[in-house]
Amino acid sequence: MLNMALRTFRRDWKAGEVKVLLFALTIAVMAMVAIGSITDRVHRAMGEQSSEFLGADYTFESPRPIDEAWIERGRNDGLEITRSQSFATVLSSGDNFQLVSVRALDGKFPLKGTIEIAEKPFTQGVVQQAQPKAGTIWLEPRILGVLGVEVGDTIDFGSIQLTVDGVIVAAPGQASEVFNVAPKVLIHIDDVEKANIVQEGSRLEHILFIAGEPAAREPYIQWLKSQKNPTQEITGGKEGTPALKAALERAETFLRLASLISVVLAGVAIAVAAGRYSQRHFDYSAIYRCLGMQIRQVHKLYLWQLLMIGLIGSGLGLALGLGLQSLIINQFSDYLPKPMVGISLAPVITGSLSGLVVLLGFALPSFLQIAKVPPLRVLRKELLPRAMSSWVIYLLSIGVMALLMWWQSNSLLLVGILLAVAVVTYLLIRLIAWFIFKIGVWLGKRGSLPVRFGVGQLKQYPAFTISQISAFGLAFIIMLSTVLLRSELLSEWQSQLPEGAPNHFLVNVQEQEVEPLESILQESDVSTKGIYPMVRGRVIGLNDMTLEEALDENQQRVGAVRRELNLTWMADVPEANKVTQGEWWSESDVADDRAELSVGEELAQRLGLEIGDVLKFSIGGLEVEGEITNLRSIQWDSFQPNFFIIFEPGGLDGFPASYITSFHLPVEDKGVLNQILREMPTVTIIELDAIMEQVQSILDQVTMAVEFIMLFVLLAGIAVLYAVLQVSREERLLSATLLKALGARKKFIRASILAELILLGAFSGVLGVIGGELLVNILYSKAFDIDLVLHPWYWLWVPMISVGFIGIVGWLGLRHLLNQPAHQVLREY
Amino acid sequence: MLRTQELTKTVNSQGQDLTILSDVSLTVNEQDTVAIVGVSGSGKSTLLSLLAGLDLPSGGEVHLAGEPLHQLDEDQRAAVRAQNVGFVFQSFHLLPGLSALENVMLPIELKEQDRAKERATELLEKVGLKDRLQHYPNQLSGGEQQRVAIARAFASEPKILFADEPTGNLDTKNGNKVSDLLFDLNKQLGTTLVLVTHDDRLAERCQRIVRLEGGKVVADNAVATQTEATQAATAEQ
Repeated sequence: MLNMALRTFRRDWKAGEVKVLLFALTIAVMAMVAIGSITDRVHRAMGEQSSEFLGADYTFESPRPIDEAWIERGRNDGLEITRSQSFATVLSSGDNFQLVSVRALDGKFPLKGTIEIAEKPFTQGVVQQAQPKAGTIWLEPRILGVLGVEVGDTIDFGSIQLTVDGVIVAAPGQASEVFNVAPKVLIHIDDVEKANIVQEGSRLEHILFIAGEPAAREPYIQWLKSQKNPTQEITGGKEGTPALKAALERAETFLRLASLISVVLAGVAIAVAAGRYSQRHFDYSAIYRCLGMQIRQVHKLYLWQLLMIGLIGSGLGLALGLGLQSLIINQFSDYLPKPMVGISLAPVITGSLSGLVVLLGFALPSFLQIAKVPPLRVLRKELLPRAMSSWVIYLLSIGVMALLMWWQSNSLLLVGILLAVAVVTYLLIRLIAWFIFKIGVWLGKRGSLPVRFGVGQLKQYPAFTISQISAFGLAFIIMLSTVLLRSELLSEWQSQLPEGAPNHFLVNVQEQEVEPLESILQESDVSTKGIYPMVRGRVIGLNDMTLEEALDENQQRVGAVRRELNLTWMADVPEANKVTQGEWWSESDVADDRAELSVGEELAQRLGLEIGDVLKFSIGGLEVEGEITNLRSIQWDSFQPNFFIIFEPGGLDGFPASYITSFHLPVEDKGVLNQILREMPTVTIIELDAIMEQVQSILDQVTMAVEFIMLFVLLAGIAVLYAVLQVSREERLLSATLLKALGARKKFIRASILAELILLGAFSGVLGVIGGELLVNILYSKAFDIDLVLHPWYWLWVPMISVGFIGIVGWLGLRHLLNQPAHQVLREY
Repeated sequence: MLRTQELTKTVNSQGQDLTILSDVSLTVNEQDTVAIVGVSGSGKSTLLSLLAGLDLPSGGEVHLAGEPLHQLDEDQRAAVRAQNVGFVFQSFHLLPGLSALENVMLPIELKEQDRAKERATELLEKVGLKDRLQHYPNQLSGGEQQRVAIARAFASEPKILFADEPTGNLDTKNGNKVSDLLFDLNKQLGTTLVLVTHDDRLAERCQRIVRLEGGKVVADNAVATQTEATQAATAEQ
């Protein structure tokens, strides 16, 4: 039987019978392998990058010294581990003092990413790959101004002196700590003990930086998690950079979705092609049976065929997919995360196996039909195999699809959404089919003859029409959703870091310094987003109770009630904030006897605060009360100064305030910072430009990844459209030739075919828009956390593109064939 | 070789039982040539499909090569066909994806016999298509296609050959050529032939004519002799 199957396959191949199916499968596997491995590589490379922000793959923080045995264990597992201590202390030089946050290192740092060190503040740095030597210190630039020192000078550090060896331009770990007011210094861990600076009871964090291959790293991290106590904390690359966390997660979801989508497209293409293949083989099967083949043998014959198509298609797809992904990765290497990681086996295996599974799930029902053709069909052409229960077919396809999606995405939520959409789409398709019928009747009365004929073609084979519309429609749904999601993500990321967003903050500006500062900035052509007051205060009471009385133990541990907060007053809701409950104050009710408060909703939730609650603050020894009138959502990744608690204007009058301002400063204008520091040495400068640039470059890269994966999905979609048109080409050719034989003019035939194609395109386009909007909005709300948006612009465009594409490609496929003599075509079919 | 007893076929059409064949009893001996004739709708094709085991009767018996077809399931009947039966159809039914040679090889391969290619080539030579071995059906004329079909029908050396209007789609000249081939090969190989036709001249070349009307056998007569009939036909050409 294998011999015969091989021969049959060879003959089918020569006759072009298997080509469409093979084409669909090849495209499918190619898409899955290419998208899968590109996604995987970009994903892993992005993981590497976020590790660079952290300085390691993971950090482990502990308030008490970490058991040496734990570190040993990790190093024995082949991991790189750098020990470090972190604490706050005061540096001095002469009469100048500065509170700093110290990071003391015992080995290589950073393990991931780089640290840039410069000779002078606010200049370009040089990449370093080591920790400071014992006896030296690296400082953030603003410290040099405050202490009045330069590189090469010495400063007092506890009981010893350290030589300033460099200025920190960029270092990992800045992202999570940008608004830590104390600037950072790096020293060698040995100097901590020598300086005798850490006393019993000092707040000291012990930190491990951990890096290594995932295979060794992940089990170790799991083990650490099982060993650690609640005061110890493990942070992975992504969690370390809140500004990137959301972006990276969304990008991942998008990429995962893209690979799911390739599965759906593959299924559609294969189902369509397999359906046609089996129909064309009904006659063969009937003859085989007539010549004495048993059902079992015919089954076997076609299952071998299926297997051969599967193997060849998967092989071709695999080769093309691998070639394509390496081509794309090389082509776009400038825009992709660097260094790009190598290809891993998993997506390649998954892609090729999925090809076979998709083929089985979507083509098997059709192939099983072939053997069931009654042999009597040789005498009575109209006989068809008994249809398989449609439930069996749907369940099989849906089951296979769900399995593959789950396999590719590992996300039950996404699988659920897509399957739900699939069911709704199916119902929609039914509705549209009914619609076609109605329109057909309507046009039948009014349209010209060729139009009536074209519509008649669609009405004549409703099942085939519906399967075409569903395939086209699905391709459009998928392409539209991909395009819309991509635009949404991109504009979201754009708004996160708009052009000219403030990248420098001045904190701790005194009241009398506000005017001179404004004039310096004005002279240098630097525009600010305003200068805000800031009052340091602590929450001490809630609704006439002390915090101990009002809050439970867990709530009392919340950081915001254990330390001083930056309080401010504002007339308007700050940018990147949104009132979620209650109402923002209006000017009319400014400053009545009790101040109104706006509280961040996360904080409110953790403390159980509600609108109407009264908070009591202690500010510089004085007390003040305020009533919560609204809650706000705060966008923490916005690189804006964010305040947990905002007073209404006037609510903090009379308390000593310092001021805060922010502005955008291009790197070539950074000299102005030196001038500010000279004239107002107590002002604290927070530079975010380096980190924002890094975040921006990651967002750019992610954007690029999303862009070309979208492009790829579009190409796959077009390939499916093309495959379906190829499959239906014959029907059209035959009916057109019949018309010709009956004496219709070319013009008539052209008009009727175009009418049919245009209607097909229009219905597919409408289906694409409805399904696409539905899918996108469900995905927005469930997977991306974006509000409902409609895209009316596309309501016009998608059907137009659909009509254009199906019309033009469909027509091009037929045009030259229509010039063939009718008798030749009729004899062939 | 072939025996039926009170063969009946009824189908249900729009809630009503329609009798297509009733009480057909026939016996065809080995090497007989029998024509089944009648007007359209008289039940010829239905009878043929029952005789060949392509369909099951509603009542009565069919025995082909000693096998009770009416008691066998689909696959068992297929096995009987594979061993004993060859077909020639009105619309040729060549496999469009296969060359002439491959079409003829197919039944030999299905029987898993050796030398498929040599035997198929021989047969195609016999039907005068030596130069057309690698042509595909759509590259052949109707007459040529039917000659390939005849070669295919004899390829598996069947004991009995069923032909359904074998010349129905052909012009007179090609029709004659095809029927000559059919009877020549039949004679050479000693095959039993059952053919359905409404072409009286074709029917007369058989030893026996069974006439159907309204699903019933209304006449079952021996024709003069096969030699005479053949001679008559040859003379006419």
